[in-house]
Amino acid sequence: MNDEQELLRRLRQAVIDGSKERSVAEARAAIEAGIDPLTLLNEGLVDGADEIGAAFQEGKIFLPELMLSGIALKAAMAIVTPLIKDRNLPGQRAVSGTVVIATIQTDVHDIGKNLVASMLSAAGFTVHDLGVDVPLNTIIGKASEVDADIIACSALLTTSMPYMRDLVGVLEATGLRERFKVMVGGASITPALAEEMRADGTADDAIGAVALARKLLRERRG
Amino acid sequence: MRRYYEILDRANRGPYLTEEQWDLEKVAMTTRHLVEKYKLSWNPSCILPRDGALADAVFEAGMELAESLGVYCRDTKRVIEFDPQELEAGLRRMPQTLTMGEGKDQRTFFVRGIEDGRPPLIWSGNAGAPIPERYYLEYVMVYAQEPIVDLLNPGSLTTVDGFEVRTGGPMEIAACRREMEYMRIGAKRVGRPGMPILAAASAVSALGDVAVAHPDYMRPCDAHLVPMLNELKMDNGNLARAVNAIEYGVRNASLPCVSVGGLGGDAPGSAVVNVASFVLSNLVCLSDFHICHPIHIRHVATSTRAVMWVESIVGQAFARNAPCIMVSDIFPKSGAMTRELLYETAANAIVNTLSAAHLEGPAAADGAAPNCSGLEARLMGEVGHAVARQRMTLEEGNAIVLALLEKYEHIFARREGNPGLPLDQVYNLETLRPIPEWQSMYEGVVGELREMGLEGLPVP
Repeated sequence: MNDEQELLRRLRQAVIDGSKERSVAEARAAIEAGIDPLTLLNEGLVDGADEIGAAFQEGKIFLPELMLSGIALKAAMAIVTPLIKDRNLPGQRAVSGTVVIATIQTDVHDIGKNLVASMLSAAGFTVHDLGVDVPLNTIIGKASEVDADIIACSALLTTSMPYMRDLVGVLEATGLRERFKVMVGGASITPALAEEMRADGTADDAIGAVALARKLLRERRG
Repeated sequence: MRRYYEILDRANRGPYLTEEQWDLEKVAMTTRHLVEKYKLSWNPSCILPRDGALADAVFEAGMELAESLGVYCRDTKRVIEFDPQELEAGLRRMPQTLTMGEGKDQRTFFVRGIEDGRPPLIWSGNAGAPIPERYYLEYVMVYAQEPIVDLLNPGSLTTVDGFEVRTGGPMEIAACRREMEYMRIGAKRVGRPGMPILAAASAVSALGDVAVAHPDYMRPCDAHLVPMLNELKMDNGNLARAVNAIEYGVRNASLPCVSVGGLGGDAPGSAVVNVASFVLSNLVCLSDFHICHPIHIRHVATSTRAVMWVESIVGQAFARNAPCIMVSDIFPKSGAMTRELLYETAANAIVNTLSAAHLEGPAAADGAAPNCSGLEARLMGEVGHAVARQRMTLEEGNAIVLALLEKYEHIFARREGNPGLPLDQVYNLETLRPIPEWQSMYEGVVGELREMGLEGLPVP
């Protein structure tokens, strides 16, 4: 293994281990060693994130490890991404999309939402997690403020699901619908229900949510 | 009452933390440390461990977690802390018997032990699942007519007179009251008007809970949920449910749905969080009894190996260290008209019955759809009674559960789940009888279970 590969492996491992301090240190060391930031992003950070996502899906790791990896990734991304910003290179696997995520108003269930937020963070998205029982206007206001690409919202309760339909309705009524992609989720949400709500999609699980977010981001950015 | 007000006051004055700090720095990190300190581990091939030292260690770790953390109030972002003496007092005040319902239909809960020969009480219904208004009454009756079912659990109404119900909106009041009317009428129509009810499933906010606190709806002899949020959290709405019950007198059921694979990590850490949740719920939920309902972070169902192990070790931990009335939930992945629903129900009923609990459920198809019927409730009760009466051991139970897992575990790999069919397609709603295919499937599975060692099951 040459020096570059070893540095990338160490960065990947720091993300997988969920060590914020090490991921920052390894990212700096790799930059100082002259490794292309794009390579760092793709083969260090994103590969690490993909590995941690797969391990979670296979039941090999659990939510705390996923959250810590997300934090470690975010810290390293803060160092690496400014160096490649605006390069818009064709080989860029990582996404730098922004997601505003929340459990919709009146619902306080957040396991699924937290999982999706962690996976999106671990996949390189900038995630603004507004928490639970979040009013529609707060979600839309935050999405406008941070110029989000995607609004992601969830409801476990069947009787809270109508508020997600309302969210799309308010976006339409205020002329903001084209500005954001909308993902909806929750135990009872089916693709048919998502379509009925005029959302842009739903996913079966957190891994699927990341894939959907990447797809929507590509659509949005053409 | 003043004592509880003082606890509520702590929610306004306790240490301030962000929710992220609470989740990761407090719950996840402390639990991880305790799992290492107490050397807790589990074996996925041993769902029903006979290991008193392990059960005691899980209990001790849970007590330590409760003492060191307390409960987070999501609304105020402050921690409600307790000292060890308060937690001990909370354990001591847990009722050892609890009577619910009225007249001939009244039932008395009791504290069950590990491998207890006394049959568990059977609390049935597709808990909280959305049930269409057009056959809600029939839904109640298909459960209430089963003689083995002792208590009823409603589903949720998502419409009233065709109008949409929204959480926390004015229609939630109408939904909860309508739901309780159906429950009472349904029980009466099958000749069991005094059946106890866990009210009201449409009360997803405190508004609905308060709205039914009247003898015409939720009687003082019924029970209601005072949930804890994931993990070790309360909010003002759920605290309000407990306050409402103080004067009214309805029985408080704590419901912490600990996420297995969530902030507690793998099964042992999740069990520690579950123990701590119950210990703290004695004080913040004013629990009269506990509903043990861990959920799998990816599969939801309680019939997964890890969740059943948690249900077993938590039940055993309390039976050995702080006996109290425990009702363990059964939320299978599969829905009606599938063999897997029956296998999941049987496995989960064996685990919970042997682990000192009464039985609640089965909430088929993850409790997310009306794909349920009275037949799987009958099976749940029959299995629970058979396990107790034939004095099944933990080892015997474990062997059958492992054999059943072989028959249903494949469904967890299906992205679409195994939802089955809704009630109106598996029962004739005029006669309230299962369709022949569903009846035949049930009889076939009962035969299989008898051959597997559940010889106490009645021959269909």
